[in-house]
Amino acid sequence: MPILLCRVDDRLIHGQVVVGWGAQLGLDFIAVIDDELAQSDWEQDLYRAGLPNEVEARFPSVEEAVRLIPEWAANEARGFVLTRDILTMRRLAEQGVLSEIEVNLGGLHSAPGRQRVLPYLFLSDRDRAELERLRRAEVRVGAQDVPSARRIDLDELLEMKAS
Amino acid sequence: MAALGRTVRLRLLLRSLLVQGSWNYRTMQGAGLGFALIPALTRLYRDDPEALGEALRSHSGFFNAHPYLSTVALAALARMESERTGAEQVERFKRAIVSPLGSLGDRLVWARWRPLCALLAFLIFLLGAPWWVAVGVFLTSYNAIHIGLRIWGLRLGWREGREVGHALMGSPLRRLPDRLTIPLAVVSGAVVPLMALTLGGAVDVGPLSTIGIALALAVAGYGRPGLANRLAVLGLVVGSLAFVLLGSSLW
Repeated sequence: MPILLCRVDDRLIHGQVVVGWGAQLGLDFIAVIDDELAQSDWEQDLYRAGLPNEVEARFPSVEEAVRLIPEWAANEARGFVLTRDILTMRRLAEQGVLSEIEVNLGGLHSAPGRQRVLPYLFLSDRDRAELERLRRAEVRVGAQDVPSARRIDLDELLEMKAS
Repeated sequence: MAALGRTVRLRLLLRSLLVQGSWNYRTMQGAGLGFALIPALTRLYRDDPEALGEALRSHSGFFNAHPYLSTVALAALARMESERTGAEQVERFKRAIVSPLGSLGDRLVWARWRPLCALLAFLIFLLGAPWWVAVGVFLTSYNAIHIGLRIWGLRLGWREGREVGHALMGSPLRRLPDRLTIPLAVVSGAVVPLMALTLGGAVDVGPLSTIGIALALAVAGYGRPGLANRLAVLGLVVGSLAFVLLGSSLW
């Protein structure tokens, strides 16, 4: 089971992911799945420059990822899958490639229309609708920013009051 | 492209020293970034106060980087503004640059350079130099790299603009943290036994011989990471033993 973490985080590759989760789990590659990023070389270079040399970065589009994720899951190399929003993760889930994988909500930050549910998680009505669709796609979802924090299951999360 | 002269760039550099001056949980260094960019923005938008206000507002949103390397982003943003890069591209750039500057700066400065300089100064002090020499050595060596990084970042960001990621990937700075690991272990290995001896008072083996042994062990392990790690541990064990033995003889 070499996809170690499948995470929604709007900061994509950053210290919490690389050091917090990567050092904990032993990491060979990070795949950022994003249709815009897949087209943008200068942005890919920036994200790559934030990684230690031994960790490889991959930037497939959603369509490519649907084909690649089962391959990665069957491989030796240990990797993380990142998306910047729940929508992208839901698109993957509805293609059936996340069935054995838990989705981690790791960081969605303050933005217009979003309300704070956890210190690291701000959700809009649209985000909540996408979470419901994830649930219907029978994907396990939990919120947890760092490995030492408590994991909050989707059911509990959706019942929490926004502030 | 509206050029930004040397004076403006010098002012960006000086203002970058205050980039954390208004740090907060919502925008982190955002206000500091906006503040540091003012000399560039006022030059570029001097005929258009409305656009100036808009630019300043947009650059005071969320931003976070290693403070010393914030000049990379600062200069690249000034360059992008001077080329009138669209707001959406600028936002994407700011979001992406946070991660490489943070991880590079954390690994290089906080995890290697600062402890190395501090331990080196401590070593000099333990070897008998007056305290002000040790403090001077720390402040000089540490800030040489600190200011050097700011100037390097300003040049790199200005030269590369939006494409700075490519230059960062090839930069020697990415390999520097690994190269500093063993020197850091050497100095720690030297400090521990010497500190134990200093705390324990005079003994048969003089402090200089002890530090000689520790250094010799550490140098022997240089370039062999596995061995160096074991030697660093050995240094700690020897140091702790010396401390226990000498400490108890004092009581």
